[in-house]
Amino acid sequence: MTESKLSIVDLTKRYAAGLDPAVDRLNMEVEEGHLVALLGPSGCGKTTTLRMVAGLMDPTAGSIVVDGKEITHTPVNKRGMGMVFQSYALFPHMNVEQNVAFGLQMRQTSKSEQKRRVAGALDMVQLGHLSKRQVKDLSGGQQQRIALARALVVEPTLLLLDEPLSNLDAKLRETMRTEIRSIQQRTRATTLFVTHDQDEALDMADRIAVMNGGLIEQFGSPTDVYERPRTRFVANFIGQANFLNARVLSETGSAAKGETHYRVSIDGLGQFGAVGAPGLTGSTHELVIRPHRLRVSLQPAGTETIAGVIERVNYTGDALSVAVKAGDRVLQSQMPTSSGDLPRTGDAAYLSWNEQDAYLLPTPVKEPAA
Amino acid sequence: MSEARLFKPRFNPAKPAFGILVFLLYLFLLAPLLIVFVVSFASNQYLSFPPEGLTFKWYEMLPEESTFMNGMRVSLIVAVIVTVIVLALGVPVALALDRFEFKAKAAVQSFFLSPLLIPSIVLALGMVLLFGPLNLNNTYTGIIIGHVAITIPFVIRTTLMSLATTDTSCEAAARILGAGSWTVFRRITLPIIQPGVIAGGVIAFIVSFDEAVISLFVAESGLPTLPVQVLRYVENSADAAVAALSVILILISLAVVVVVERAMGLRKALR
Ligand SMILES: Nc1ncnc2c1ncn2[C@@H]1O[C@H](COP(=O)(O)OP(=O)(O)OP(=O)(O)O)[C@@H](O)[C@H]1O
Ligand SMILES: [Mg+2]
Repeated sequence: MTESKLSIVDLTKRYAAGLDPAVDRLNMEVEEGHLVALLGPSGCGKTTTLRMVAGLMDPTAGSIVVDGKEITHTPVNKRGMGMVFQSYALFPHMNVEQNVAFGLQMRQTSKSEQKRRVAGALDMVQLGHLSKRQVKDLSGGQQQRIALARALVVEPTLLLLDEPLSNLDAKLRETMRTEIRSIQQRTRATTLFVTHDQDEALDMADRIAVMNGGLIEQFGSPTDVYERPRTRFVANFIGQANFLNARVLSETGSAAKGETHYRVSIDGLGQFGAVGAPGLTGSTHELVIRPHRLRVSLQPAGTETIAGVIERVNYTGDALSVAVKAGDRVLQSQMPTSSGDLPRTGDAAYLSWNEQDAYLLPTPVKEPAA
Repeated sequence: MSEARLFKPRFNPAKPAFGILVFLLYLFLLAPLLIVFVVSFASNQYLSFPPEGLTFKWYEMLPEESTFMNGMRVSLIVAVIVTVIVLALGVPVALALDRFEFKAKAAVQSFFLSPLLIPSIVLALGMVLLFGPLNLNNTYTGIIIGHVAITIPFVIRTTLMSLATTDTSCEAAARILGAGSWTVFRRITLPIIQPGVIAGGVIAFIVSFDEAVISLFVAESGLPTLPVQVLRYVENSADAAVAALSVILILISLAVVVVVERAMGLRKALR
């Protein structure tokens, strides 16, 4: 196994003795050159984790190891990291060039070397022509790029980004997303990226750590966390999902990536095919189906369908959301629109899915007490 | 900006009325100054109004009046030292009050701001009584301690105001980039809060330079400051030399403000 760039071991932060920990025994291995997104709802401990890695905050317990060296108690100014803050935190009394040069000055880099590297960093963010500007005369997107240049010019051991895009308008956010990602890939800077925006995380990250209440619920690639969520929280937080309680009846064969095909029974709706981790037979699990993987047809088609009535139709131009009531459940389906007939409220509808799109969560549902 | 102009009514009836109000207010504030200014050029034998003729003799008298010159020297020395000390003390106190959470915070805060609330005559009396056994009456040390006590609230307040609007993540950013605590303070914090610090310093200088009550109590007999000399002079003689002196003092205060404004932008600092 290759040595990781960053290992976080049982990292814990408790702000005050009586409080629940803001970060609770967090473990994570980050590979060199990867961009890892810390994704989770407000208050789940993302910023706290990042600040402990940066050295701005002392952990209550646990350790942080970078390049095989423990840095848990290394002072912040000796860690050689780069960080971009949500507010950018550019030095207001310095111009663009002076801002970017600051870290190099702290490293006693020679004047000529400073000049060369500052120019290089500014070119990288395409703002070479603004080197003499005062930072208050820059737009939000420009400030953001300068902050990125200032962090990267010192060739940091780790690049830390705390919601760097949240102060930008929607359009610019998309552009900067692509730009940050391409700069990160070019510089191969190992990066921790805090966000509460799932699209951002899915789009930019090599790995996503989905956090909830100070814990990592799942750590995996974007497709992993989207296609194979480990918990209901992850499935719900990343994208939308339908959940159905399914009793696993039997194995029907082995699927790709070590998974297993199952026959499951959903109360009151019948028997269906699904996939999941091996060894689930006999217990009840939640079945996750993404809305756009749930087909709605207006005629009965095949045997494994759920019959229902269309309760609501939402048309948004490129997508059509359909809520179908089947028994006492309401299932969400989403499909691309076509110019043909739209389904209407009150129509009979038949729901079906491909077997590999119905995923059984690995942890069994607690059976309600009889 | 141009948008705001679009909606501006062509004639606003409140405007001339407001102009007149502002004019009257200025007149009210400046009338005493104007009178002093006029009187300083008046040839009247005694301090009185209206003037009977034009003369420069009061100004010519000033350099010969050794009490004024001595007072001026004492006041300037005191004001400069007070300004330095009060900045060296007030800025760190303001930083501590802004950045740290500690148990006695509220107490410390009210302790440092209390001189604003206590009449200076009470403070002055207390100081005389305290300085007596310490042999500090009629010394520079005594006056300076007194002036530091009454000016420190200004420095703390203006600095706190600057600190309240600064983004602490600038300091965090500098530390991550490799700066130690002292470098962060010198290269980041201080330049950012500079307007508040300068404003506090200017106010401290002017307040100390003008201060009469504490100086009168603590050092009237041995080390009279300029305001004390002025009081004494008015007690003994009633000519317009003090008016001429007052005009000079106003010009000095104005010069301080203008120089600082030119050099570092006091208008920004006081905003
Ligand atoms: N200085 C502090 N003192 C006490 N509790 C704190 C402090 N800072 C954060 N917390 C608590 O710790 C928890 C985690 O906070 P943190 O700032 O890490 O969340 P976050 O995931 O970054 O959230 P957001 O998306 O809102 O920025 C929250 O419950 C928060 O209230
Ligand atoms: Mg946060």
